[in-house]
Amino acid sequence: MGSKQKERVHAILYWGLPVLAVILIVVAWVLFSAQHPELMPDPVSVWKRLIKTFVKPIGNTNLFGHAWASLSRVLLALLIAWAFGIFFGILIGWNRTARAIFGSIFEVIRPIPPIAWIPIMIMWFGIGELPKILLVFIGTFVPLVINTSAGISMVDKINISVGKVFGGSNMQILKDIVIPTALPSIFAGIRTSVSSGWTTVLAAEMLAAQRGLGSLVTKGWQGSDMALVLVAVITIAIIGSLLSFLLNKLEKVVCPWNSNK
Amino acid sequence: MAEFEDNRPLKVEVKGLTKRFGDLLVLDDLNFNIRKGEFVCVVGPTGCGKTTFLNCLTRIHMPSEGDLYIDGVPADPRKHNISFVFQEPSSLPWMTVEDNIAYGLKIKKLPQAEIDRRVNRILDLMGLQEVRKVYPGELSVSAEQRVIIGRSFAMEPDLLLMDEPYGQMDVKVRFYLEDEVIRLWRELGSTVVFITHNIEEAVYVAERVIILSNKPAHIKEELKIDLPHPRNIADPKFIEYRNYITDKIKWW
Amino acid sequence: MEQQQMTKKMEVKGISKTFYNKNSYFTAIENVSFDVKDGEFLVILGPGRCGKTVLLNIIAGLEEKTEGAVIYNGKEISGVNPEVGMVFQKLALMPFKTVLQNVELGMKFRGVPKAERHEVARRYIDLVGLKGFENSYPTQLSGGMKQRVGIARAYANDPKVLIMDEPFGQLDAQTRYSMQNEILRIWEQEKRTVVFVTNNIEEACYLGDRIILLSDCPAKVKEIYNIEIPRPRNMVSKEFMDLRAKISDNTDLAI
Repeated sequence: MGSKQKERVHAILYWGLPVLAVILIVVAWVLFSAQHPELMPDPVSVWKRLIKTFVKPIGNTNLFGHAWASLSRVLLALLIAWAFGIFFGILIGWNRTARAIFGSIFEVIRPIPPIAWIPIMIMWFGIGELPKILLVFIGTFVPLVINTSAGISMVDKINISVGKVFGGSNMQILKDIVIPTALPSIFAGIRTSVSSGWTTVLAAEMLAAQRGLGSLVTKGWQGSDMALVLVAVITIAIIGSLLSFLLNKLEKVVCPWNSNK
Repeated sequence: MAEFEDNRPLKVEVKGLTKRFGDLLVLDDLNFNIRKGEFVCVVGPTGCGKTTFLNCLTRIHMPSEGDLYIDGVPADPRKHNISFVFQEPSSLPWMTVEDNIAYGLKIKKLPQAEIDRRVNRILDLMGLQEVRKVYPGELSVSAEQRVIIGRSFAMEPDLLLMDEPYGQMDVKVRFYLEDEVIRLWRELGSTVVFITHNIEEAVYVAERVIILSNKPAHIKEELKIDLPHPRNIADPKFIEYRNYITDKIKWW
Repeated sequence: MEQQQMTKKMEVKGISKTFYNKNSYFTAIENVSFDVKDGEFLVILGPGRCGKTVLLNIIAGLEEKTEGAVIYNGKEISGVNPEVGMVFQKLALMPFKTVLQNVELGMKFRGVPKAERHEVARRYIDLVGLKGFENSYPTQLSGGMKQRVGIARAYANDPKVLIMDEPFGQLDAQTRYSMQNEILRIWEQEKRTVVFVTNNIEEACYLGDRIILLSDCPAKVKEIYNIEIPRPRNMVSKEFMDLRAKISDNTDLAI
């Protein structure tokens, strides 16, 4: 009784609803900015402000320069955090002695939000590049270690038995069975680390930086330039979603066996 | 085989039940009736669309065509009461055995006296009185499954669907539980559809067996099992039924 | 019969296993002894959940025993026995490896060169009837096919004794029948000593040269049956049904 038709209606509905939601937000924005221009610039002025960042650079660079400044800090910190965090996570997930030594220290550091480190970092290292990268490193290292070690220690005992029956050494079992089994969980850590790294870098830049999207937000805010704030915020959102899109693609390449589920 | 006289009223009618996923036809125009208080087994070859069939009966999927009628009207979860027992026991771990059995009755807002009466009856019938205050996690898997079966029977459902509830249990336990389910069914007069891959089990419990074909599933045959309970699996008549059904679906 | 000439491959002598907690203990296995003859298909039949997997793990050297000894070719074994292979009920296939890579795993650990590994793995993949699925991942296979991978993986490591822990326990009744025929075909083609654990009496009677019947908790040897019915066995023949009834009457009910 018209089930084909129903399916088609559903298909259109589920494709159309997200589009509709975006349109609604834009309409609400236009309406609100028309009534309260002092609180909210309209889309056209935001667009004009965006063009202006290229014509009249802020802090000697255009919007791309600021985006790249933020991005390069995050990427550098992430690379270091991935290397150390995954290594460290495997170590405390697999080795009981390592867990005994580092586990408790880590439990204490873990609940401190990365932003709480900002004053300490500034006092210790000033306001250059190093403290910002260190901050992002701290913010991303933690989820990596948690997810990696959880993934490693949750590997089903029976899978390790398989390795033992086959006479595998500890290293072989770790490399061929345990780490790949934990990979989806490690990847979850990577995903969290990217989003928390992105958040942390912006917070750090808002406090003290010449360049970066966070510094644009602060400049706009201090100069009552709402349009500039919006330009920065929208750029932040776009880059953030691009990053998570890339990560999803990457996960399909790294863990192809997961894609069927 | 010839139709036998059965003058119990019709309870469930399945009319023209068809399910497609895109272009893939899984269920092909299934038609059958179940009488009030009847115990019917559905068997079919592995991968015949059994799960889809079940999901259509339970309304997890909507059928593409055709429907399920109870007492002559289309089945409606708000009006009718369909209970299920799945392969894996699905008790609520934070409730004791008696609360698990009472749970569905409370949702239906039955009076407390009626709830107590039904719960006690089930506990008596299944010999579960000693564990009534115990949590499911403290029971074995087979005991937990018995609680679920008790819970379903306590609902006095219009239709009780069981999806291979004893699939993972050892043979001796299975026969014990099959005897128990027959006892419950006879005492409470429920209408039961029991789905299984195990032909011996089907012949052991069913009044009537519905044999499904390979995918897309249609009904190959309906077969009355004309043997008194308790049945003997080594009885030549029993083995004749078993061989007959096996020949109909054998792929291995 | 041939069985009298068979030599002892393995002796399980007085195995007990007790698990200790802070203030309680639990005996899973109590004084279990039996022989495994070279080349036989030995079935260990046990009801309920008690002790079977633990017993197998002890025989394979994966778990410590509280008492007793496992003698292999006349020598007492401690630790993992490299000549024993295992097929698990829960499959334990690596989801991140293809069928071929899963089957090769043991050879990879032993350092067998790649070309030889591929060749041996392919031979066993053919043997279990999975030709054409070498590059599939386990999630793309049905339950019966996954268990075939588990069997090929165990065989490819060239074990002298194959231990199978309820390998068909998760399969539906029909797939189970088909796999029972498969395992006999494979066993007849590639003779190894098989120790097969099941809780299914029908399966035990269909497959075994001998059946060791265990009791419910704690697991003890209740009786040992020699099965003289020639293969292929007919599951509904009188002698088969009689044997089944006899063993069933002697089996504990583990509710």
